[in-house]
Amino acid sequence: MPFNMNRRGILRAGGGLLAAGLPLPAFAQGATPPKPDRIVVNASGGSMAQFLRIAYFADFEREHGIRVVDTSPVDFGKLRAMVNSGNPEWTVTEIGGQDGDRATEMNLLEPIDTSIVDLSKYPDVGRKSHIFVGSAYSTVLGFRSDVFKDGSHPKGWAEFWDVRRFPGARSLRNHPVDNLEFALLADGVPMDKLYPLDMDRAFRKLDEIRPHIAVWWSTGAQPAQMLVDKEVVLATGWNGRFFELAKKQAPVGSDFTQGSLKSSSWGIPRGTRHAYWGQKFLQTMTNPRLQAIYATELSYAGLHPDTVNYVAEELRPLLPTAPANLEKQFWLNTSWWTENGQKAQERWTRWMLQRG
Amino acid sequence: MSSPGHNREVIARRRERGLLLLAVPALLLLGAIFAWPVLRLLSMSVEGGTLAHFEKAALDGLYVSVLLDSMKIALMVMGICLVLAYPVALWLSRAGRVGLALGMFALLLPFWTSVLVRTYAWLVLLGRNGVINRTLRDWGWIEAPLPLLHNTAGVLIGMVHVLLPYMVLPIYASLLRIDPDLPRAAEGLGAPAWRSFLRITLPLSLPGVSAGCALVFVLSLGFFITPALLGGGHVVMVSMLIEQQVREFLDWPFAAALSTLLLLATLAIYALIGRLTRGARLATQ
Repeated sequence: MPFNMNRRGILRAGGGLLAAGLPLPAFAQGATPPKPDRIVVNASGGSMAQFLRIAYFADFEREHGIRVVDTSPVDFGKLRAMVNSGNPEWTVTEIGGQDGDRATEMNLLEPIDTSIVDLSKYPDVGRKSHIFVGSAYSTVLGFRSDVFKDGSHPKGWAEFWDVRRFPGARSLRNHPVDNLEFALLADGVPMDKLYPLDMDRAFRKLDEIRPHIAVWWSTGAQPAQMLVDKEVVLATGWNGRFFELAKKQAPVGSDFTQGSLKSSSWGIPRGTRHAYWGQKFLQTMTNPRLQAIYATELSYAGLHPDTVNYVAEELRPLLPTAPANLEKQFWLNTSWWTENGQKAQERWTRWMLQRG
Repeated sequence: MSSPGHNREVIARRRERGLLLLAVPALLLLGAIFAWPVLRLLSMSVEGGTLAHFEKAALDGLYVSVLLDSMKIALMVMGICLVLAYPVALWLSRAGRVGLALGMFALLLPFWTSVLVRTYAWLVLLGRNGVINRTLRDWGWIEAPLPLLHNTAGVLIGMVHVLLPYMVLPIYASLLRIDPDLPRAAEGLGAPAWRSFLRITLPLSLPGVSAGCALVFVLSLGFFITPALLGGGHVVMVSMLIEQQVREFLDWPFAAALSTLLLLATLAIYALIGRLTRGARLATQ
């Protein structure tokens, strides 16, 4: 789209002007910038905010004596508007799903300063120029464990598609992300040959499962709730939601086979006042001991390889980053989705509107 | 020059001007926080001097069909609300003090609960194993659960529940304004109750009906959470597509173009409702 190019051009020009017009921040000249009395960390809210506080905010506050104020929700549009206004309220923000690459490309973020944020032990997926990977999560297959007893549940998407062997109402997300991948995997494409996605083939395969999808879910709470209410017996969902149910002993299980791994992205909005302390905050988030606290509560484990070792043994199989689970899953290709997301979404909406 | 009629006219006009002055702060506020942002949004749709976004929105069958579907849903919600609301309004307008208090309380209670909470409550009530289906099954009235949720029926139920007060209150207000001597006079002249209703009460309450319909229709078109959750993905409203463009794809110009089309369509229907009710009133007089 020619328009997008224009907008990006304008953004870059704006950024250049800003950089030229402002004095260099103090830390670029070698000194530690003065401590503010607080920084603002924006994240998804809900129970997540509570556990971010227990795991990271409390530690940061103790170490640096700077209060962490948390806000929510994660909103890409707001991030863009803030950066364009030149005075972002957030010191650090979580960035939703597949938006990390786009935020980088649109020049909305400060680069990660690896002299402060130590990523030396991180795997490659966790080393990005402007994005800090806070944790990994996965879209996995959830099932009623009283309907599919003793491991008789479907494993992988070909079996999810097999309505004769595994009868019952199902639910998928009302969104092309993950579903196109799952359809192709169900059709026999190997995990390492998924990208670039063959959309025609994926939608043909989706046609098959469509009559058996009772609900196309739109919020993360839905699949868990529908499984508990027995509205459906099989559903895709974010592993953290199923983890919560497992801890509550609900008759709902989940399986990581061919799960779609994603990383949660964090960034420092470009031009924010206390960027240096934002970097310090991200450094706090790299601590495997703190990551383990967070993972124990929500199952969203950080990428530091030592994190798993700090988590209780019985919970390790429920973490998407446990070595045995990592093997079974694939990493969602965010750059494919950044490039093709809008096209795929349009096609998805069109497909959803076809009657029958 | 100084006939009493003329004087009265002057006073009336002067008073009108005074009242207009009183409205200035509100108008300024509306202008600053409503009209200006709306205009800016609309102007975004032609940013860069191109009509390409409108072309895409209008020529791509997808967006037009979603817009038409949204209108259909909004009209259905409006119709159901009207049918349900009119008797309630009529009853309220004639109820005693206790009845009125209770009725108003029941009507307004949902107002104090968030739409999201109410929507989740419907999930619990309408589901396959929800309260309603389980009860009916326990009583042996049905064998298979009724499809109440995750379809158009669920969306209609949820939206009507939220929007019903917006229909009842204007009709109630216009019913109160009817001079009680009029139906009494009709009765005194021997008109049966149904005729007095059809010839007097109904036509005189049409302004309320018109206002209620317009309110409910316009609010329905913007509905977003309720259809997303209760429709189970089977119902797509144009507001969902606009949100997608704003939040997910950051294609604000295209979102603005869609919004402009939605606004134009809304204004057209709004005008049509006004004309229809005016026509109906003239026809009955």
